[in-house]
Amino acid sequence: MGDRLRGKSAVVTGAGRGIGREIALALAREGANVVVNDLGSATPEGGELSHSAADEAVAEIKKLGVGALANYDNVADFTAAEGMVRACVEGFGGIDILVNNAGIRRHRFIVDMTEEDWDVVIGTHLKGAFNLCRHAVPLMKEHKYGRIINITSRQWLRAEGMANYAAAKGGIVSLTYGLAFELGQYGITCNAVAPLALTRGLRFSLPRFKKVFEDGLITREHYERLVNQAGPEFVPPIVVYLASEYGAGVNGRVFHAEGGKVSLFSVSEEQRAIYKDHAKDGPWSLDELIALMPKTLLAE
Amino acid sequence: MGDGLKGKNAVVTGAGRGIGREIALALGREGANVLVNDLGASITGTEAAATPADEVVAEIKKMGVSAAANYESVTDFDAAERIIKACVDNFGRIDILVNVAGILRDRMLFNMSEEEWDAVIAVHLKGTFNTTRHASRLMREQKWGRIINTTSDAWRGTVGHANYGAAKGGIVSFSYAVAREMGRYGVTCNVICPIAATRMTLSDEVKEGFKKRLDAGLVTKERYDEIMSIPPPEFVPPVAVYLASDHAVDINGAVLGCGGGRVALYSEPVEIRGIYKDHQKDGPWTMDELKDLVPKTLLTGYVNPAPVQTEGAKT
Repeated sequence: MGDRLRGKSAVVTGAGRGIGREIALALAREGANVVVNDLGSATPEGGELSHSAADEAVAEIKKLGVGALANYDNVADFTAAEGMVRACVEGFGGIDILVNNAGIRRHRFIVDMTEEDWDVVIGTHLKGAFNLCRHAVPLMKEHKYGRIINITSRQWLRAEGMANYAAAKGGIVSLTYGLAFELGQYGITCNAVAPLALTRGLRFSLPRFKKVFEDGLITREHYERLVNQAGPEFVPPIVVYLASEYGAGVNGRVFHAEGGKVSLFSVSEEQRAIYKDHAKDGPWSLDELIALMPKTLLAE
Repeated sequence: MGDGLKGKNAVVTGAGRGIGREIALALGREGANVLVNDLGASITGTEAAATPADEVVAEIKKMGVSAAANYESVTDFDAAERIIKACVDNFGRIDILVNVAGILRDRMLFNMSEEEWDAVIAVHLKGTFNTTRHASRLMREQKWGRIINTTSDAWRGTVGHANYGAAKGGIVSFSYAVAREMGRYGVTCNVICPIAATRMTLSDEVKEGFKKRLDAGLVTKERYDEIMSIPPPEFVPPVAVYLASDHAVDINGAVLGCGGGRVALYSEPVEIRGIYKDHQKDGPWTMDELKDLVPKTLLTGYVNPAPVQTEGAKT
């Protein structure tokens, strides 16, 4: 047991199972009180709802001697998200830490993706993150203190057959960048963590990844890395670090957590450019670009 | 007039004005037939009028290629299917899809309404998905296609429009994913990141705001002049036309900056530094380990882009 988060209060969404649950437990182990939000879906695609996942996580956190509350609402609902933040404030006196982790999967190729596959994934991940931030930030701003940690995924850069998930996770990264710029001045930090862990979500997707591997879209090495993934209990340390006083100066960055590895991602930057005097010579012509592009921007 | 796209058929969304219009015209100039989609909306997405699309269609027809107008919203999944179908019905098939349609609802996060979030995500991000989804099936069948999506520098983080930034970041990641899925069918998916003075980016209101900030000493004259000299949208299309051509067959999943006389390639984020421990033997990282290690390893040279404002500090 540590005390680095003693007296702090946190909301963790999707905290009934997997990575969210491990993060909630890890925050509590450092002394934080935690609102455990989980819809309790039967499968990573949705399905029947149950309170048991959130309730069990709450019971386990309480054993650590800190406060814990369960919430079973859907993060995709703007008003319900307000309720989660309010539960934290009413239960523990404020909200210091927000971890947006709730997610859902609809693993489909773009040509077969339904509107519902798109809406439900964007709604849970991206709008869910916005909803919670929108309600938590005014309170954090008032107290000049806040830690927002958004859970993204390496699929943000390297999606294999789940363009909806990729879009949601890329949206979350850009939301993180934007909020870091907007909120840093108020003592609020916003960072993202891209975990890789053998959760029920990944286990659920393994047959799809197998097909993607067999279709030649990913390497054997990549596929085997997914199959032999470390468990979700190795993801929290960097999240807890970012949530603590030690993370005060860290803002607008994306980290990766997987087993015993923690790494930092760079931000997209202009890598190469070509210029012409457009005011004098007009826009680039197609012939100019055909001649120039391969040996400049696209050169090995 | 060129013939770099002769016989190709294109859909351009948001093509009634600004960047979309310039791209539609430029595709027409290279011989492509163009389906001009535009709701005719104001920049916040209200007050629809058909005329902008019709005007662009008339202008493209003067070039001796075919053009047709569509006035539906890209936010509607079924309407997006009709937009793609209109291209096939009018010209025979769809080869090129350029997603430009967009709106703005600028607001700081802590003042943003649910509606302001939803509207911006719906037009940019869902709109891009909707048309891509319907076009991708036809392009896979014909084993040829060019999808060009539009992002903005806001994707890398800016102040005052987290909705727009999130939508644009979603579009970049969506495009990476589509590129990887569709490449083997001869379909490429790339992203342009334009800089141009349009009614959306450099409105009279924005200009006036900058003038006030200049007069108040909040921006330098140099910065002010730089903003006021952002080139008009007619300099954006060349890279889109290039990506749409046969010559760009091997460019897939790239983000290209464009505007004025500049064409740029953006890097993809990569892991730049890592720390490792034997987690199976020694367990997860502890807080004590991370608090000592992270600042001197992962964060070496890192500068906080938005440090906390201390009491009394000047803005």
